[in-house]
Amino acid sequence: MSGLASRLYSGDAGFQIVGKRKLWFGVAGGMLLIAILAMSIIGFKPGIEFEGGNEFTVPVSAGSSVEVEKAIDDAIKSVDAEASLVPVQKVGDAAYTVRSSSLTNEQTEAVKEKIVTTLKLNVDDVSGNRVSQAWGAQVTEQALIGLALFVLVVSIYLVIRFEWQMAAAAVASLVFDLVATAAVYSLVGFEVTPSTVIGFLTILGFALYDVVVVFDKVQENTRGITGSSTQTYAEAANLALNQTFMRSINTALVALLPVGGLLFIGAGLLGAGTLKDLGLVLFIGMGTAVYSSLFFATPVLVWLKEKDPKIANHTARVLARRAAPAKSPAGDLPAQVGAGAGSAAPKAGAKPTVGAKAGRPAGRPAGKRR
Amino acid sequence: MAPPQGQMRPGRQLALLGAIFVILASAVWFGGKGGWQDRLAPNLGLDLVGGSRVTLLAQTGADGKPPTTQDLEQARRIIAERVDARGVSEAQVVIEGNQNIVISVAKKGDDAINDVGQASQLFFRKLLSQTDGSGLAAAPQASPSPSASASGSPKPSTAASPAATPKPSVSPSTGGTGGGAAMAPTPTPTPAASKSPTASASPAAAPKPSAPADPKVTVAQVQAKVGKAAWDAAGKLTAVAADPAQLEVLQPFAQLNNFEVALLAPKVQFYVPQVSCEQLDKRPPGSINNPDAEAVACEDGMKYLLDVSKVKGTDVDKASPQIEQNTNRRVVSLDFSSDGLDKWTSLTKESFNNEGQKCDQTALGAGSHCRVAVVLDNKVISSPEIQGVLGDDSVITGDFDQKSATDLANNLNYGSLSMTFLQQEAQSITPTLGGEHLQAGLLAAGIGMLLVVIYSFFYYRLLGTVIVLSLILSAALTFLALVFLGREMGFTLTLAGIAGFIVSLGVAADSFVIYFERLKDEIREGRSPRSAVPRAWVRARKTILTANAISLMAALVLYLVSSGAVAGFAFALGLATLIDLVVVFLFRHPIMTMFARTDAFLSPRVSGLGRVLHEAKEAK
Repeated sequence: MSGLASRLYSGDAGFQIVGKRKLWFGVAGGMLLIAILAMSIIGFKPGIEFEGGNEFTVPVSAGSSVEVEKAIDDAIKSVDAEASLVPVQKVGDAAYTVRSSSLTNEQTEAVKEKIVTTLKLNVDDVSGNRVSQAWGAQVTEQALIGLALFVLVVSIYLVIRFEWQMAAAAVASLVFDLVATAAVYSLVGFEVTPSTVIGFLTILGFALYDVVVVFDKVQENTRGITGSSTQTYAEAANLALNQTFMRSINTALVALLPVGGLLFIGAGLLGAGTLKDLGLVLFIGMGTAVYSSLFFATPVLVWLKEKDPKIANHTARVLARRAAPAKSPAGDLPAQVGAGAGSAAPKAGAKPTVGAKAGRPAGRPAGKRR
Repeated sequence: MAPPQGQMRPGRQLALLGAIFVILASAVWFGGKGGWQDRLAPNLGLDLVGGSRVTLLAQTGADGKPPTTQDLEQARRIIAERVDARGVSEAQVVIEGNQNIVISVAKKGDDAINDVGQASQLFFRKLLSQTDGSGLAAAPQASPSPSASASGSPKPSTAASPAATPKPSVSPSTGGTGGGAAMAPTPTPTPAASKSPTASASPAAAPKPSAPADPKVTVAQVQAKVGKAAWDAAGKLTAVAADPAQLEVLQPFAQLNNFEVALLAPKVQFYVPQVSCEQLDKRPPGSINNPDAEAVACEDGMKYLLDVSKVKGTDVDKASPQIEQNTNRRVVSLDFSSDGLDKWTSLTKESFNNEGQKCDQTALGAGSHCRVAVVLDNKVISSPEIQGVLGDDSVITGDFDQKSATDLANNLNYGSLSMTFLQQEAQSITPTLGGEHLQAGLLAAGIGMLLVVIYSFFYYRLLGTVIVLSLILSAALTFLALVFLGREMGFTLTLAGIAGFIVSLGVAADSFVIYFERLKDEIREGRSPRSAVPRAWVRARKTILTANAISLMAALVLYLVSSGAVAGFAFALGLATLIDLVVVFLFRHPIMTMFARTDAFLSPRVSGLGRVLHEAKEAK
């Protein structure tokens, strides 16, 4: 394997992800803008569950799509001349579906009977689905309550388990995922069904799961970071990112593979319905979740952390210490020691021992060094 | 920096796992009955085996509060009884969440349950006045009482029975769904002498109510829609409008849809001729469920103004279809509860003598006594004339056939739900389609699993076997748990649930990835594989627990707030996460510990740790 792959594998690829956080915030901001524009201008394409309506499914064996469409069309028109129809759709290899505006129960039964006689089918072959307009709204309301509750519970958990900055960053990346996924739905015009809403909620768990694994490593790398001055918080976090990079990619792959299978089967074999709707939203959502856990969550975390005076001081100290060697005319011994001590030097060097090497900064009592 | 683990005892953990497996398996095997197929059959949802499902949403009461648990349970019982009364076997009626009742019938696409929750409340109301409800302006004063063909009291016994109205009043379709009858309304009302409207040129025919509009329409919006002039004029009416000028002003009322009509005051509904029976019949369920208010409802194209309800469906103890011995006619006999009997007696007395709130000429029956309408939901199902002051032994007569008599009796028996329901979803899936769903779901799960297996072998070489074994173990545990929970808790596996399990495949594989990448980290830091395993485990365990806790929280929250497919999905996700934890702790870790003691583990070619080991060696 070449250099990069190998370095990736061993976790020292050295991607400057945190360092370029302005870029990532810019990307996120741009996506957010597109998302808001898309949602406000294009909006969503609601499924039958949100609009209310009827859906009839007949097996492909009933005839050609033209025949089926005509039969169903006639049947529906005969009970309700003003009903609107969505043309026949072939669903995978198995069935055709036709959707119409809302019919009553009696009308639905009448339509089914007509379809059965016209197409010479068995009664058991025609499926019907009748949903009221309020149904989708009810599911969505539950979903929103679930979302709010979940964010609350998880935030409390993350604050206890980690710290508030991590909780905030995790929730921010969660919001990012949801908005980005919604934007894709709006832009591409995929239909939104209750199954989509369910899938949407599952992304929550997955997105945070991924972020938590990265933050776990960040926490490990930055434990007691203020005690030493070799690394800034940002650098430690970036290292953690690089160390978990391969894991993130692996996780993404093993999570996306089955969902891809789900989508493939759902769309390819069944054509429409629960499996396809779920597979699609999960695929898109998990994709954005992987992106945000790598390029959004940690940069946000570092940004929040650097607002903390303790971390900010520490970062300034580390940077100052690093900048110092350039100014110091450095003798043979490590200049950093003295430079690191900074302003402490004069005090400590009050009584240089006679005969000591002139260039040596008498920064610290020897005993303190190890 | 956690201390290295002490001596591992992988055997114990594996033994515990074995015990769990054996207990679960025997619970499944010995808890079931019949052949091995029956014993091992999980509870499959309708979308996987075919069947029909109707979801009913209980409407909130006047106070805007959701119904109480007891009310909902009572409603559930009544609905279950109704379903049984229709001869639908093996139907399941369950309460879901705090506002839904779900009726499902597995394995056949049966539409019989579709309207079962719709008929909601039953009231007996005195008929005060009637008018032609075809939506045209009829001259009300001149219309005499409906034809005089009514039979006298046929019952020779002391208790007179209420005679049937001239027309058999029980419509063949029970339940009053507002659909069937409204689609084909009897165009001309039977009352022969009713004057045909002279002003029939006016296009006042009821507009076809379009697809249900937003049910959240307000009175103010309706007022705005008809305009102030029409609204005020309608409010001032004290009789059915007949004057052409008046009719002209009231014209906008013809434009109202069924939701809007329901919001009009009863007097307005009755006095404005443009409000047709077609509109009234399609009012949403529960539009006239207040017993203390007057109401307007239709029967056979006639529009009735009805008094407040003095007897309710709940006052009827038992109604049964019977064949009268003397006449061989079908009748429906009524038994009232003790409390209900008093109310019934006083209502019949009042109606027989035309006391209290008087019924006018148009509403009198053939014997010049008031009629009492049996109102189910929004429609009148029967309106017999009261032939005497009646006691417990009352019967309703009419031109019933067997079905209509049974239907009326069922409605009287089970007609009174304490709340009204709105049908949310009615789905029928054929067994063929259900079978295809099941196949596709299993195939998707299989493909997902295969992809994960291929990937893990590719990336982790021999260690991939640990993944494969743990996936197989998870699958077996999940299956047993499904059968067990299906039997004990009624958990049903649906297509959404299968999707939940597929998603959790990723979670299961992921905890493995976390562990392995940790292992590599440790080796990279210069540890021997043997000492790396316990150290990596301690660290990975923390991460896995945190991450799985998040998944569990998501599943739990979803399960608690949602219903139907969402709940099924969440349950599957939560169950799979729990099983993953069991497998990680009791299988994967002990197996890895044992594995680390073998030589194969150290061989770069088989372990998938090869490069790391190699690098670690070089670094030394």
